[in-house]
Amino acid sequence: MNINIFRHEFRSRLKSVVIWSVALTFLIVFFFSIFPAFSADAKLMNEALAKFPPALRAAFSMENMDLSTVLGFYGFIFLFVQLCLAIQASNYGFGLVSIEENEMTADFLLSKPVSRAQVLTSKLLAALACLTLTNLVVWVSSFVAINLFRNGNDYESSTLIKVLLSIIIFQLFFLCVGLVISQLVKRIRSVTPYSLGLAFGSYIVNAFSGVFKDVKLEYITPFKHLDPTYIVQNGAYNMPLVLINVIVTLIALAASYWLYLRRDVSAVS
Amino acid sequence: MNIFLHEVKSNLKSLLIWSGIIALMIMVAIAKYSAFASDPEMLKMLDAMPPAMLDALNMRAFNLTTLSGFYGIMFVYFGLMGAIAAAMWGSDLISKEERDKTVEFSLVLPVSRNRVITAKALAALINCIVFVLITWAVSLVAIRSYKPDQAFYDFLKLEMQAMFAIELIFLAIGLLLGCAMKRYKLAGSTAVAIILTTYFMSIISTMQEKLSFLKYFTPFRYFDAGNLLRNGKMDSMYLFISAGIILVCLAGAYWIYNKRDLYI
Repeated sequence: MNINIFRHEFRSRLKSVVIWSVALTFLIVFFFSIFPAFSADAKLMNEALAKFPPALRAAFSMENMDLSTVLGFYGFIFLFVQLCLAIQASNYGFGLVSIEENEMTADFLLSKPVSRAQVLTSKLLAALACLTLTNLVVWVSSFVAINLFRNGNDYESSTLIKVLLSIIIFQLFFLCVGLVISQLVKRIRSVTPYSLGLAFGSYIVNAFSGVFKDVKLEYITPFKHLDPTYIVQNGAYNMPLVLINVIVTLIALAASYWLYLRRDVSAVS
Repeated sequence: MNIFLHEVKSNLKSLLIWSGIIALMIMVAIAKYSAFASDPEMLKMLDAMPPAMLDALNMRAFNLTTLSGFYGIMFVYFGLMGAIAAAMWGSDLISKEERDKTVEFSLVLPVSRNRVITAKALAALINCIVFVLITWAVSLVAIRSYKPDQAFYDFLKLEMQAMFAIELIFLAIGLLLGCAMKRYKLAGSTAVAIILTTYFMSIISTMQEKLSFLKYFTPFRYFDAGNLLRNGKMDSMYLFISAGIILVCLAGAYWIYNKRDLYI
């Protein structure tokens, strides 16, 4: 851990953190502000839906939708929060060390009397600090939005905390997977297409398994590993899937160190 | 012409990756569709329901037991993928020259800036066309065994046209961003912001009656699979809006690029 690298990395990301945090706050508050009007409609919808045969509801993927409760609705919004967090975290992951090679600063950095492992550790910790900052903003704005708009409806705060605690696992997954992919390819010219591909790819796979009720795809997408609807309904994590998620993250992290220590970093010619 | 060929070549890899992803997505989805296809129990249930109710709940379009309903659901994802791919291609066209430090080289060539941007935009357009055609072709191959009727082929054609329209909108927006943003890094991130905002708007506008005016601001809602299936054509008002957005963005892109100060 080198404090100079950490500070530099943290500072260079600060603007992006502020933008993401503001966007997420806006997203949460705006989406939640329609809850009061929506919950009344949703209650009527639920009554109407209850009359349908269960097989039909399953086919149209309506059986899990209880948007009339505070947490049911929050779980629905949280999916979009996750999408944003995934893009942010994979942006940081893909750009973490590849940006040095793109901007021709890699040989400057690596000629400093700091080991590569230390470089990577400081960079990772700085990115983690940035993600945690965003994470905290999501915590605060979630509590504020819910208390502003819950309209007297009660909710289980321990479940909400469980949903929010899943954020850090989720962020680390995309950070580490992004990092290891950036080490596996020869050169990343632009970070955005990669991070959009990773984040939207897992998002679409998750949406798919929601529509078609197939379990096999669940194993590959973090959106399913930390599915907010599941957490809200059961008040607990889907442990086997969370474990898969954590294991993939750890493997990606270890592989990134292994690859980065051996990486052939081209100098400016 | 040289610029055009060069751009087509350098975009080929990205096009192949995107096509691979969408082909994979269609195959996986069709494999899952087999579980729903013409499930007799489900059909009986649907027949028993009054048609007015089916329409009200948009179940005609989203009836998973028929191929049309199935593709109605898929359309959201086609549109999303097309939008991301097109926006990335569009915003990358101009900004990558500055990122890769090749901009001085390409602008000292004896070619006007207008021709540079035209050649580049045409190359990206080819990408978009090929992307839609591949989606179409893979769909046709994947559904072959279900022996769909002519109505489905018409619907698929319409859906692909709508996907192409969405791609064009985002390509034009991306192109404008690439020309307008002073720093090349901003083009990509602004494109991401626009995609996310419009996508979230498309979701929220369906949830709340009061916010339905938002549908005019999000291309994802211009072409609704349910409406496409019911009316058999694209809504002319939205086509008009789309054409307007594309023209304004293109004109803006040409205008700004001609006066652009290079960021080196």
